[in-house]
Amino acid sequence: MTSRSVAQEFFEGMQSGDTGAVAKLMAPGASVSLVPLGISGTMAEDGADYLQRLTEAFPDLLVRVRRLFVTTDNAAVAEITIDGTQAAEFLGATNQEKHFDLDQSWILQVGPDDRITAVTGYWCQNQAYRRLGVKRLDKITITAR
Amino acid sequence: MSTDLTSTPVAGSPAAGLPGAATAGSAVAAFFDAYRVRDVERMVDLCADNATFRYVPFEVWARQRVIRGEGQVRTVGKPIWTALIDAFPDLSNVVATIRAADDGNVAAEVSIGGTQAKDFGVIACRGGRYDLPHLFLFHVDGDGLIDDIVAYWDTVDWKRQLDWLEVD
Repeated sequence: MTSRSVAQEFFEGMQSGDTGAVAKLMAPGASVSLVPLGISGTMAEDGADYLQRLTEAFPDLLVRVRRLFVTTDNAAVAEITIDGTQAAEFLGATNQEKHFDLDQSWILQVGPDDRITAVTGYWCQNQAYRRLGVKRLDKITITAR
Repeated sequence: MSTDLTSTPVAGSPAAGLPGAATAGSAVAAFFDAYRVRDVERMVDLCADNATFRYVPFEVWARQRVIRGEGQVRTVGKPIWTALIDAFPDLSNVVATIRAADDGNVAAEVSIGGTQAKDFGVIACRGGRYDLPHLFLFHVDGDGLIDDIVAYWDTVDWKRQLDWLEVD
Protein backbone atom coordinates (compact mmCIF):
# COMPACT_ATOMS: atom_id res chain seq x y z
CA MET A 1 0.00 0.00 0.00
CA THR A 2 1.12 3.54 -0.66
CA SER A 3 0.28 6.62 1.35
CA ARG A 4 -1.85 7.67 -1.58
CA SER A 5 -3.92 4.50 -1.53
CA VAL A 6 -4.19 4.65 2.27
CA ALA A 7 -5.65 8.14 1.92
CA GLN A 8 -8.09 7.02 -0.74
CA GLU A 9 -9.29 4.20 1.53
CA PHE A 10 -9.67 6.69 4.39
CA PHE A 11 -11.98 8.87 2.31
CA GLU A 12 -13.93 5.84 1.11
CA GLY A 13 -14.47 5.00 4.79
CA MET A 14 -15.54 8.60 5.44
CA GLN A 15 -18.13 8.39 2.69
CA SER A 16 -19.58 5.09 3.87
CA GLY A 17 -19.29 5.85 7.57
CA ASP A 18 -17.46 2.54 7.95
CA THR A 19 -15.56 3.32 11.12
CA GLY A 20 -14.31 -0.26 11.26
CA ALA A 21 -12.63 0.07 7.89
CA VAL A 22 -11.15 3.42 8.92
CA ALA A 23 -9.89 1.91 12.18
CA LYS A 24 -7.96 -0.73 10.22
CA LEU A 25 -6.01 2.05 8.51
CA MET A 26 -4.89 3.52 11.82
CA ALA A 27 -1.76 2.86 13.88
CA PRO A 28 -2.44 2.16 17.55
CA GLY A 29 -3.16 5.42 19.35
CA ALA A 30 -3.56 7.42 16.14
CA SER A 31 -4.48 11.01 16.93
CA VAL A 32 -7.07 13.29 15.39
CA SER A 33 -7.40 17.06 15.30
CA LEU A 34 -10.63 18.47 13.89
CA VAL A 35 -9.49 22.07 13.90
CA PRO A 36 -12.83 23.92 13.43
CA LEU A 37 -14.51 21.78 16.08
CA GLY A 38 -11.72 22.30 18.60
CA ILE A 39 -11.43 18.52 18.95
CA SER A 40 -8.05 16.93 19.64
CA GLY A 41 -8.09 13.30 20.66
CA THR A 42 -7.84 9.82 19.26
CA MET A 43 -9.17 8.47 16.00
CA ALA A 44 -10.49 5.46 17.91
CA GLU A 45 -12.89 7.65 19.90
CA ASP A 46 -13.17 11.24 18.69
CA GLY A 47 -12.46 10.56 15.02
CA ALA A 48 -14.84 7.61 14.84
CA ASP A 49 -17.54 9.61 16.62
CA TYR A 50 -17.25 12.47 14.10
CA LEU A 51 -17.37 10.13 11.09
CA GLN A 52 -20.40 8.33 12.50
CA ARG A 53 -22.26 11.59 13.17
CA LEU A 54 -21.42 12.84 9.69
CA THR A 55 -22.98 9.88 7.90
CA GLU A 56 -25.94 9.73 10.28
CA ALA A 57 -26.70 13.39 9.49
CA PHE A 58 -26.01 12.96 5.75
CA PRO A 59 -26.90 9.37 4.83
CA ASP A 60 -26.39 10.11 1.12
CA LEU A 61 -22.93 11.58 1.75
CA LEU A 62 -20.56 11.82 -1.20
CA VAL A 63 -16.85 12.45 -0.74
CA ARG A 64 -14.98 13.70 -3.78
CA VAL A 65 -11.19 13.87 -3.64
CA ARG A 66 -10.19 16.91 -5.70
CA ARG A 67 -6.46 16.97 -5.01
CA LEU A 68 -4.08 14.57 -3.33
CA PHE A 69 -0.33 14.71 -2.89
CA VAL A 70 2.22 13.03 -0.67
CA THR A 71 5.00 15.01 0.97
CA THR A 72 8.55 13.85 1.60
CA ASP A 73 7.70 13.11 5.25
CA ASN A 74 4.94 10.75 4.05
CA ALA A 75 1.95 12.93 4.80
CA ALA A 76 -0.96 12.55 2.41
CA VAL A 77 -2.54 15.96 1.89
CA ALA A 78 -5.97 16.08 0.33
CA GLU A 79 -8.57 18.58 -0.73
CA ILE A 80 -12.03 17.06 -0.76
CA THR A 81 -15.62 18.14 -1.17
CA ILE A 82 -18.28 16.48 0.94
CA ASP A 83 -21.90 16.83 0.00
CA GLY A 84 -25.23 15.38 0.97
CA THR A 85 -28.73 16.14 2.19
CA GLN A 86 -29.27 16.68 5.88
CA ALA A 87 -31.45 14.04 7.53
CA ALA A 88 -30.65 14.58 11.20
CA GLU A 89 -29.23 17.17 13.59
CA PHE A 90 -25.56 17.90 12.89
CA LEU A 91 -23.20 19.77 15.22
CA GLY A 92 -26.17 21.50 16.81
CA ALA A 93 -27.83 22.52 13.52
CA THR A 94 -31.46 21.46 13.28
CA ASN A 95 -32.36 19.25 10.35
CA GLN A 96 -34.09 21.23 7.60
CA GLU A 97 -33.33 18.68 4.87
CA LYS A 98 -31.02 21.17 3.21
CA HIS A 99 -28.40 20.17 0.68
CA PHE A 100 -24.91 20.67 1.99
CA ASP A 101 -21.58 20.88 0.22
CA LEU A 102 -18.37 21.78 1.92
CA ASP A 103 -14.73 21.95 0.82
CA GLN A 104 -12.26 20.55 3.31
CA SER A 105 -8.55 19.79 3.51
CA TRP A 106 -7.02 16.90 5.43
CA ILE A 107 -3.49 15.88 6.38
CA LEU A 108 -2.99 12.16 7.01
CA GLN A 109 0.42 11.38 8.46
CA VAL A 110 1.35 7.87 7.38
CA GLY A 111 3.88 5.79 9.32
CA PRO A 112 6.51 3.40 7.95
CA ASP A 113 4.09 0.47 8.17
CA ASP A 114 1.59 2.30 5.93
CA ARG A 115 -0.75 3.00 8.83
CA ILE A 116 -2.03 6.46 9.67
CA THR A 117 -0.59 7.95 12.85
CA ALA A 118 -2.26 11.38 12.82
CA VAL A 119 -5.29 12.92 11.12
CA THR A 120 -5.88 16.67 10.88
CA GLY A 121 -8.95 18.23 9.27
CA TYR A 122 -9.48 21.85 8.26
CA TRP A 123 -12.66 23.46 6.97
CA CYS A 124 -14.79 26.54 7.55
CA GLN A 125 -17.62 25.84 9.95
CA ASN A 126 -19.19 29.18 9.00
CA GLN A 127 -19.69 27.80 5.48
CA ALA A 128 -21.23 24.66 6.97
CA TYR A 129 -23.64 26.64 9.14
CA ARG A 130 -24.56 28.95 6.24
CA ARG A 131 -25.54 25.97 4.10
CA LEU A 132 -27.57 24.48 6.96
CA GLY A 133 -29.52 27.71 7.51
CA VAL A 134 -27.92 28.78 10.80
CA LYS A 135 -28.09 32.57 11.24
CA ARG A 136 -26.24 33.29 14.47
CA LEU A 137 -23.25 31.61 16.06
CA ASP A 138 -24.66 31.96 19.57
CA LYS A 139 -27.94 30.32 18.51
CA ILE A 140 -26.86 27.40 16.34
CA THR A 141 -30.13 25.52 16.76
CA ILE A 142 -32.22 28.48 15.56
CA THR A 143 -32.24 28.32 11.80
CA ALA A 144 -33.88 30.21 8.95
CA ARG A 145 -35.92 28.55 6.23
CA MET B 1 -16.31 8.12 -3.32
CA SER B 2 -15.25 9.75 -6.55
CA THR B 3 -11.72 10.75 -7.31
CA ASP B 4 -10.96 13.65 -9.62
CA LEU B 5 -7.33 14.39 -9.07
CA THR B 6 -6.65 17.72 -10.67
CA SER B 7 -2.96 17.76 -9.89
CA THR B 8 0.04 16.08 -8.63
CA PRO B 9 1.96 12.92 -9.08
CA VAL B 10 3.12 11.20 -5.90
CA ALA B 11 6.33 12.38 -4.27
CA GLY B 12 9.34 10.43 -5.42
CA SER B 13 8.44 10.68 -9.08
CA PRO B 14 9.38 14.26 -9.91
CA ALA B 15 9.04 15.21 -13.53
CA ALA B 16 11.46 17.47 -15.37
CA GLY B 17 10.87 21.15 -14.70
CA LEU B 18 9.55 20.67 -11.17
CA PRO B 19 11.33 22.38 -8.32
CA GLY B 20 11.93 19.57 -5.80
CA ALA B 21 10.80 19.61 -2.21
CA ALA B 22 13.58 21.76 -0.77
CA THR B 23 13.12 24.58 -3.27
CA ALA B 24 9.34 24.45 -2.94
CA GLY B 25 9.51 24.54 0.85
CA SER B 26 11.95 27.47 0.78
CA ALA B 27 9.66 29.48 -1.51
CA VAL B 28 6.78 28.98 0.90
CA ALA B 29 8.92 29.90 3.92
CA ALA B 30 9.96 33.10 2.14
CA PHE B 31 6.32 33.89 1.42
CA PHE B 32 5.42 33.73 5.11
CA ASP B 33 8.55 35.72 6.03
CA ALA B 34 7.25 38.48 3.75
CA TYR B 35 3.71 38.15 5.09
CA ARG B 36 5.03 38.38 8.67
CA VAL B 37 6.47 41.83 7.97
CA ARG B 38 3.40 42.78 5.89
CA ASP B 39 5.42 43.19 2.70
CA VAL B 40 2.65 42.54 0.15
CA GLU B 41 4.84 43.50 -2.83
CA ARG B 42 7.37 40.86 -1.81
CA MET B 43 4.59 38.28 -1.34
CA VAL B 44 3.42 38.96 -4.88
CA ASP B 45 6.98 38.93 -6.25
CA LEU B 46 7.38 35.39 -4.92
CA CYS B 47 4.48 34.32 -7.14
CA ALA B 48 4.41 33.65 -10.86
CA ASP B 49 2.71 36.30 -13.02
CA ASN B 50 -0.41 34.21 -13.56
CA ALA B 51 -0.45 32.52 -10.14
CA THR B 52 -3.90 31.38 -9.07
CA PHE B 53 -5.46 32.06 -5.70
CA ARG B 54 -8.32 30.60 -3.70
CA TYR B 55 -9.24 31.48 -0.11
CA VAL B 56 -11.88 28.79 0.38
CA PRO B 57 -13.82 30.28 3.34
CA PHE B 58 -13.94 33.72 1.72
CA GLU B 59 -17.41 33.99 0.26
CA VAL B 60 -19.98 36.78 0.38
CA TRP B 61 -23.56 35.71 -0.22
CA ALA B 62 -25.43 38.54 -1.92
CA ARG B 63 -29.09 38.31 -2.89
CA GLN B 64 -28.50 36.81 -6.32
CA ARG B 65 -24.90 35.66 -6.39
CA VAL B 66 -21.99 34.52 -4.27
CA ILE B 67 -18.70 36.43 -4.44
CA ARG B 68 -15.77 34.13 -3.72
CA GLY B 69 -12.15 34.80 -2.85
CA GLU B 70 -10.95 33.09 -5.99
CA GLY B 71 -8.99 34.27 -9.01
CA GLN B 72 -5.40 35.30 -9.49
CA VAL B 73 -2.85 36.42 -6.93
CA ARG B 74 -2.34 39.80 -8.58
CA THR B 75 -6.00 40.68 -9.01
CA VAL B 76 -7.70 38.97 -6.06
CA GLY B 77 -5.02 37.85 -3.60
CA LYS B 78 -3.13 41.13 -3.42
CA PRO B 79 -6.23 43.27 -2.70
CA ILE B 80 -7.35 40.81 0.00
CA TRP B 81 -3.94 40.79 1.69
CA THR B 82 -3.79 44.60 1.49
CA ALA B 83 -7.27 45.01 2.97
CA LEU B 84 -6.52 42.50 5.72
CA ILE B 85 -3.33 44.29 6.72
CA ASP B 86 -5.17 47.62 6.60
CA ALA B 87 -7.80 46.31 9.02
CA PHE B 88 -5.27 44.45 11.22
CA PRO B 89 -2.13 46.62 11.06
CA ASP B 90 -0.08 44.34 13.34
CA LEU B 91 -0.99 41.21 11.38
CA SER B 92 1.62 38.50 11.81
CA ASN B 93 2.05 34.76 11.47
CA VAL B 94 3.69 31.78 13.12
CA VAL B 95 4.55 28.86 10.87
CA ALA B 96 3.97 25.52 12.59
CA THR B 97 4.80 23.08 9.78
CA ILE B 98 5.85 23.17 6.16
CA ARG B 99 5.59 19.86 4.32
CA ALA B 100 6.74 19.72 0.71
CA ALA B 101 6.50 17.15 -2.07
CA ASP B 102 8.98 16.59 -4.87
CA ASP B 103 6.44 17.78 -7.45
CA GLY B 104 6.17 21.33 -6.08
CA ASN B 105 3.15 20.82 -3.84
CA VAL B 106 3.49 22.23 -0.32
CA ALA B 107 1.23 22.21 2.75
CA ALA B 108 1.83 24.78 5.48
CA GLU B 109 0.08 24.97 8.84
CA VAL B 110 0.28 28.58 9.97
CA SER B 111 -1.33 30.64 12.70
CA ILE B 112 -2.25 34.14 11.54
CA GLY B 113 -3.34 36.84 13.95
CA GLY B 114 -3.69 40.53 14.54
CA THR B 115 -5.54 43.32 16.32
CA GLN B 116 -8.51 44.84 14.54
CA ALA B 117 -8.28 48.57 13.82
CA LYS B 118 -10.93 48.87 11.09
CA ASP B 119 -14.02 47.04 9.88
CA PHE B 120 -13.19 44.03 7.75
CA GLY B 121 -16.00 42.81 5.52
CA VAL B 122 -19.02 42.16 7.71
CA ILE B 123 -16.89 42.11 10.87
CA ALA B 124 -17.28 45.49 12.53
CA CYS B 125 -14.25 46.76 14.41
CA ARG B 126 -14.44 46.28 18.15
CA GLY B 127 -10.70 46.35 18.70
CA GLY B 128 -10.44 42.63 19.28
CA ARG B 129 -7.49 40.38 18.57
CA TYR B 130 -7.49 37.01 16.87
CA ASP B 131 -5.11 34.13 16.31
CA LEU B 132 -6.38 31.60 13.84
CA PRO B 133 -4.97 28.31 12.54
CA HIS B 134 -4.77 28.09 8.75
CA LEU B 135 -3.85 25.36 6.33
CA PHE B 136 -2.26 26.73 3.15
CA LEU B 137 -1.65 24.59 0.09
CA PHE B 138 0.81 25.87 -2.49
CA HIS B 139 2.25 24.76 -5.76
CA VAL B 140 5.70 25.99 -6.74
CA ASP B 141 6.84 25.96 -10.38
CA GLY B 142 10.17 24.95 -11.88
CA ASP B 143 11.48 28.52 -11.49
CA GLY B 144 10.86 28.40 -7.74
CA LEU B 145 7.85 30.72 -7.99
CA ILE B 146 4.50 30.04 -6.32
CA ASP B 147 1.90 29.42 -9.02
CA ASP B 148 -1.07 28.38 -6.87
CA ILE B 149 -2.26 29.31 -3.36
CA VAL B 150 -5.23 27.76 -1.55
CA ALA B 151 -6.11 28.41 2.09
CA TYR B 152 -8.52 26.98 4.64
CA TRP B 153 -9.49 28.37 8.04
CA ASP B 154 -12.58 28.46 10.23
CA THR B 155 -14.41 31.77 10.08
CA VAL B 156 -16.57 30.82 13.09
CA ASP B 157 -13.46 30.80 15.27
CA TRP B 158 -12.33 34.08 13.70
CA LYS B 159 -15.66 35.84 14.24
CA ARG B 160 -16.03 34.59 17.80
CA GLN B 161 -12.59 35.93 18.72
CA LEU B 162 -13.64 39.31 17.29
CA ASP B 163 -17.01 39.18 19.07
CA TRP B 164 -19.07 38.99 15.88
CA LEU B 165 -21.81 36.35 16.00
CA GLU B 166 -23.67 36.71 12.70
CA VAL B 167 -23.11 33.91 10.19
CA ASP B 168 -23.50 36.42 7.32
